[in-house]
Amino acid sequence: MKYIATFHTHLAALVTSRALATRQVKAWMAPVPRALSSSCGTCVCYEADLPMLEAMDGDVERVYRVAEAGQFELLFENE
Amino acid sequence: MKKVNWMVVIAGAFVGVAALVLTLLGNPANMGFCIACFLRDIAGGIGLHSAEKVQYIRPEIIGLVLGACIMALAKGEFRAKAGSSPATRFVLGAFVMIGALAFLGCPLRMVLRLGGGDLNALIGMLGFALGIFVGVQFLKRGFSLRRNYTMGRPEGGILPALMVGLLILFLAVPTLFHLSETGPGSQHASFWIALGLALVAGALAQRARLCMAGGIRDSIMFQDFKLLYGFIAIFLVALIGNLAFGTFKLGFELQPIAHSSHLWNALGMVLVGWGSVLLGGCPLRQLILAGEGNGDSAITVFGMIAGAAFAHNFGLAGNADSLNEAGELVVGGISSAGKVAVLLGIAVLLVISILNMPQKEKAVQKN
Repeated sequence: MKYIATFHTHLAALVTSRALATRQVKAWMAPVPRALSSSCGTCVCYEADLPMLEAMDGDVERVYRVAEAGQFELLFENE
Repeated sequence: MKKVNWMVVIAGAFVGVAALVLTLLGNPANMGFCIACFLRDIAGGIGLHSAEKVQYIRPEIIGLVLGACIMALAKGEFRAKAGSSPATRFVLGAFVMIGALAFLGCPLRMVLRLGGGDLNALIGMLGFALGIFVGVQFLKRGFSLRRNYTMGRPEGGILPALMVGLLILFLAVPTLFHLSETGPGSQHASFWIALGLALVAGALAQRARLCMAGGIRDSIMFQDFKLLYGFIAIFLVALIGNLAFGTFKLGFELQPIAHSSHLWNALGMVLVGWGSVLLGGCPLRQLILAGEGNGDSAITVFGMIAGAAFAHNFGLAGNADSLNEAGELVVGGISSAGKVAVLLGIAVLLVISILNMPQKEKAVQKN
């Protein structure tokens, strides 16, 4: 399953990416897709069986599951 | 090759066409749009500096902010957010402006100048890319101005409201303002045409997240070239337009409102590139973000206006190349005070970059 996490800061994306990597999860950073936000922050894309919310930095903003057709299903929100 | 984002291409092409039209209708050469120059003109127009040749209330700035605001409201993307190191952003905005005025243009004008054949802009672009590269090194190591927070909607509407107020005041009581009678400030397209084109450009830039710094930053950080297509579209449209209208002039010397002091063109844009990465976007992007409710970007715009006032009150801005009475070239550049200000700006950026690296405990937690 593919997931995308967006963050309030680039640092939080960096921290989460490393935390996922230490859990042997395939993760990479990328610009936030335009469909998800008008801001130009950094997101973390990752592939895992579960959303891995426990690996998220405190400044995580949202976590989405990416459906087959490319739609984003909101799983978690932290304004 | 990643997928082309056509919205970015369309936004870039429109900005390029609008810049050409505005230049044909009266804006200074290669200055259809220039966020730094136009904020500087507004600073002069409201009396924050007294450089008589660069004072005007530029409708392009008003239009860009309001166009982005209207589009964000229409698409449900207007979000009032602020609180991410506002004082630091003010200082960064001021130094980005000082760097841009040393070069004589923001990154957007740099691309337009390049499209007009001004090779000084190529030097500026090398400096800009170097500044972005340095900024990215700090980002990769965890530089952060901390997160922003949701605010009440009025906070997000501050800059758009100020722009509406400025527009009404300028139309109702123009005698309140300082308006240049000679020089670049006196050269401008029709107010309403400029406002209309800028409204559309602002709306498109909001949809596309158009950013001159973002394209190079994302290319370096993520090998993602989507935003770079906007940059390229502006350049190509400006190049084709200048060739078609006979205004293309290749070379370094005596380019319109430009100087050929290479080191200071480069260092000025190092300051702009580095500062823009730390701020999360170029001067154009700051206007657009402020339009969609970002109070931190509004503070940055205020910082840029203050920086423009400093630049002209203390003689820090660049002087264009010129010919003396004997017809000999007088290479422009910046004053000694301007050189000190650019170097000080780079030193300040270094200090801000280092002081905003992650705290030790958080860095350990990450690893």
